[in-house]
Amino acid sequence: MDIFIQQVFNGLTIGSVYSLVALGLTLVYGILHIPNFAHGALYMLGAYITLTMMLLWGIHYWIAMAVSVLVVGLLGVLMDRLVFHPLRNAPPIHDKIAAIGILLFLEAFAQLIWGADYRTMETPYGQVVNLFGMTATTQRVLINIGAVVVMILLYLFLKKTYAGSTIIAMAQNREGASLVGINTSRVAMLTFMLSGGLAAVAASLSAPINLVFPGMGHLVILKAFVIIILGGMGSVPGAILGGYILGFTESLGATYISNDYKDIIAFLMLVIILSIKPKGLFSREGF
Amino acid sequence: MLELTDVSIQYGSFTAVENINIHVGKGELVVLLGSNGAGKSSTFNTISGLQKPSAGTIVFEDRPIQGAGPDKIVRSGIVQCAEDRKLFPQMTVKENLVMGGYVHRRKRKQVNQSLQDVFELFPILQEKKDQPAGSLSGGQQQMLAIGRALMAQPKLLLLDEPSIGLAPLIVEQMFEVIQKINQDGTTVLLAEQNAFAALKIADRGYVFESGSVVVEGTAEELLANDTVRKAYIGA
Repeated sequence: MDIFIQQVFNGLTIGSVYSLVALGLTLVYGILHIPNFAHGALYMLGAYITLTMMLLWGIHYWIAMAVSVLVVGLLGVLMDRLVFHPLRNAPPIHDKIAAIGILLFLEAFAQLIWGADYRTMETPYGQVVNLFGMTATTQRVLINIGAVVVMILLYLFLKKTYAGSTIIAMAQNREGASLVGINTSRVAMLTFMLSGGLAAVAASLSAPINLVFPGMGHLVILKAFVIIILGGMGSVPGAILGGYILGFTESLGATYISNDYKDIIAFLMLVIILSIKPKGLFSREGF
Repeated sequence: MLELTDVSIQYGSFTAVENINIHVGKGELVVLLGSNGAGKSSTFNTISGLQKPSAGTIVFEDRPIQGAGPDKIVRSGIVQCAEDRKLFPQMTVKENLVMGGYVHRRKRKQVNQSLQDVFELFPILQEKKDQPAGSLSGGQQQMLAIGRALMAQPKLLLLDEPSIGLAPLIVEQMFEVIQKINQDGTTVLLAEQNAFAALKIADRGYVFESGSVVVEGTAEELLANDTVRKAYIGA
């Protein structure tokens, strides 16, 4: 029983990170219908920027994270302006090729600057705490709390502010959004900003329990795609639920089936859920 | 107020609209008549900035607006209620209307006032304000589309076939509402296939045929015009 609770908590922790990454991916997909493969690179850069801030200038973890969110968010905007915006009238395959191009570029860039070594991120929250009969580091608890806080803030932003509603409006009807006077290019930039910021939060929160290296985004982005496909492409609740489902199955599967097959479970889930609900769990209903 | 001079619209090598001249005066209700594919919606989308004209000028309140982005055009006071309504289907009725007031988002009082005005004009929308727009019937969706357009407090309202696909009784109500909107001071440019009903409430009209204006005149002239009667009214 203790192991079970421990694994549920681990699943929650992994799921929080997956959900945050998937949210950024699903927002961009919902607005622009671009499967942004470069999102994994934004995640990786988010971790590196936080790490560099902390190592180089000794900046506190939270401030470093805030800087990272800002920088990666702006990088997202830059990506939109320089690459995706000029391609807006091109066939969809061009976006995909461009996204992969950005991914490769950013990874090579990270390798050039920081090298290919695996690095660890120190955290001021390394203490071990006891919670309901299980042990966890404060950092893991923070990941869970941080993710929920960010999700609530995102929800409030999307539902309660005009700026946030423009994202929802554009996802539901692009021309309709233009006809009420929304500047769709600006909404696209805002969405990329949010998307990059979410990736940076996810990476900075999870880096202390993982390792930081140029390829760290690969598996995460692959799984984020699984999540948004099974949650329904472009659906916000789908991304959150999908992230947690994946986190739980992975963590429980690793314990009760086999740790070696941990990563294949995500894809098994995809096959099972899509055979039952071919359009995904939410299929754009609940955006 | 609005002046289209020698406007042409092309999609690739296909010319949808060729050299049209349209004039709308302040306070008027002007109707564009014509069958499907005659170029009415292309004209509307070009005025709204969703489409760029390949030639010609569009002047609104003495300023050229051809080629400007749709958001700028809405801010200048031209709002289109599109043929396929272009609502936000998963947003509630109220959220759709509030989005309609996007250009006035910093004037919260004004948005609330417009909301009350729209609810007064279409009481059914108030009743259904918390339902998703996609769940409404066709007639209600059309009312919501018009309501959303009114939320922007347009100087010129473009209405693209508001009667399409609606039951005859609802169509009649719809035209009454359009007339009321016009009498309350909004200039209206209306595209319709239902020529008789439209001409009854209109001041003037233009008849489109395969991308050109073939007849124009006052509503009385058009109602009396033989070609118009034969082609569009069936009498």
